Amino acid sequence: MKNIIIGQYIPGSGFLYKLDPRTKIISVIVLMVAVFLLKSIVQLSIAMGLAILILIAGKISIIRIFRGLKPIFVLLIFTFVFQIFFNKEGALWVDETMTIGFVSITSMVLWTIIWRMLAKFKKFKMILFILYIGGLYLIMKYITYGTIFTTWQFLVYEKGVEMSFFVVIRLLIIITLSTVLTLTTKPTDLTQGIEKLMRPLKVIGISSEDFALIISISLRYIPTILDEANKIMLAQASRGADFAEGKLKDKIKQIISLLVPMFIIAFKRSEDLADAMESRNFVPGRERTRIHDLKLGRLDLLTGLATVLLLAGSILVRIYL
Amino acid sequence: MGYLDIEHLYFQYSSKRMILKDINLSINQGEWIAILGHNGSGKSTLAKLIVGLLQPKEGRITVDGVDLLPENVYDIRKKIGIVFQNPDNQFVGVTVRDDIAFGMENLQVSKDDMLKKIDFYATKVGMQNFLDKEPSQLSGGQKQRIAIAGILAMQTDIIIFDEATSMLDPGSRAELMEYIKELHQEGLTIIMITHDIEEALYADKLVILKSGEIYQQGDIPTLLKHPEWFKEAYLELPTAIQIYYDLKQAGHDNQELEEYLWAFSSSK
Repeated sequence: MKNIIIGQYIPGSGFLYKLDPRTKIISVIVLMVAVFLLKSIVQLSIAMGLAILILIAGKISIIRIFRGLKPIFVLLIFTFVFQIFFNKEGALWVDETMTIGFVSITSMVLWTIIWRMLAKFKKFKMILFILYIGGLYLIMKYITYGTIFTTWQFLVYEKGVEMSFFVVIRLLIIITLSTVLTLTTKPTDLTQGIEKLMRPLKVIGISSEDFALIISISLRYIPTILDEANKIMLAQASRGADFAEGKLKDKIKQIISLLVPMFIIAFKRSEDLADAMESRNFVPGRERTRIHDLKLGRLDLLTGLATVLLLAGSILVRIYL
Repeated sequence: MGYLDIEHLYFQYSSKRMILKDINLSINQGEWIAILGHNGSGKSTLAKLIVGLLQPKEGRITVDGVDLLPENVYDIRKKIGIVFQNPDNQFVGVTVRDDIAFGMENLQVSKDDMLKKIDFYATKVGMQNFLDKEPSQLSGGQKQRIAIAGILAMQTDIIIFDEATSMLDPGSRAELMEYIKELHQEGLTIIMITHDIEEALYADKLVILKSGEIYQQGDIPTLLKHPEWFKEAYLELPTAIQIYYDLKQAGHDNQELEEYLWAFSSSK
């Protein structure tokens, strides 16, 4: 737990690392807007190609980005399936009659049991899941004998397939862009960039410095608190608690028994920290000098220019194509 | 009049019993004073009052002739720094450099000045090679040294150590005590809050707190002549002195050993 990496920052040397965090934050936001302006798969594919070009130019391994996508794979699949099922525009591409009967339900249950038994091969989780879904499809399509309870039509339309690819590619581009940001920017720099960008909010009474301090202290204390959680878990495990197994109900109970002491300790900690900060003359809202300074360079200018051009390009595409 | 004066100080949290009663204390510049007390004797509360984290119910604290009031606490804190017990709960920065800088940032020290001072004081506490490390990569003793560097960089006249060694392993503890000794030799005023008599032996002067009152104060050899005072304040004697009294009680009379045991305790 001690070596946990906050954010996904990985030291490197590409041009993306040399950019001012402000440039990167603004560029990412602008490029996201640009991506949302695009209307067709072809345009999006070109945008995807450009995103990959940025990765190559910034010497970032594509595999790493792909690994970063893992946690949201479920979301991507869900989006994809949702679009396929519910978008009923355009030409009809697939029209299959699916059967649900005694034999097919039994087969599906058996198939599910086999799938669950294979779940211990965590490495192939994704492939197994796809095989499982494919298996369910085949069962419902071909096992038509025995008592049949009901049938339904599996319909896929042209627009549905197009939209599902469209949405998924768009999501991929957006996630790639934001991953590039967090991958090449230290959390401290990121916070500082946000702080500087939020400066104008002072007009409506939001202090960007306090906000940045809150973020940086949170970042600072995540490893400490995880360490604490680990200790509490060990202490509870040594008295017979089992965090790995048990029913969902038991698990929830155990998580509560972990959260309560964690919160109590965190509150105590925050009191101590407030004292420590105050005794070192911290006064919220008071002017402070900063040890980190951000400076915009020529590279930032070029990046900004390129970003603006890309945005202009996608606006033109939106209007004329 | 000392550099830091506490006169008739009373403190209580809302509607509870009085935590501190009629505290009178005068600390001179360059002095090392140990405030010794059992758990709940009010010693940490006293430390918080001195740095203005709490407001006294009655009485006054003056630093360098200036009354400590909420209006001028910012200026008083330029003169007094405090190192707390838990190394993790006072590390504000994301890295060592950021943490040493924190106090100076609050004092609006310029960036160039800050960088110079960070290098200087990090070297002073032997942490110059750790400037980019994160707190999770440091030991408790190292974190306490960073806390000290952060206060030194603020150039205070007094440093309060509020049980600053109690969460450290014996090795780091001895190391930290040596650092504090060096700082004292350089003229810094040290206030050491502790329940550990062995640590208190380093000081020039000892104040024993008992249930929120100053029970005894004076120089260490004088106080050690009265073992009953320590017992009554729920404190232990230094091991060597305890052995001395045990031997004496058992009727042994070895002048040489006695002298050795006394010298051993005052060698710090």
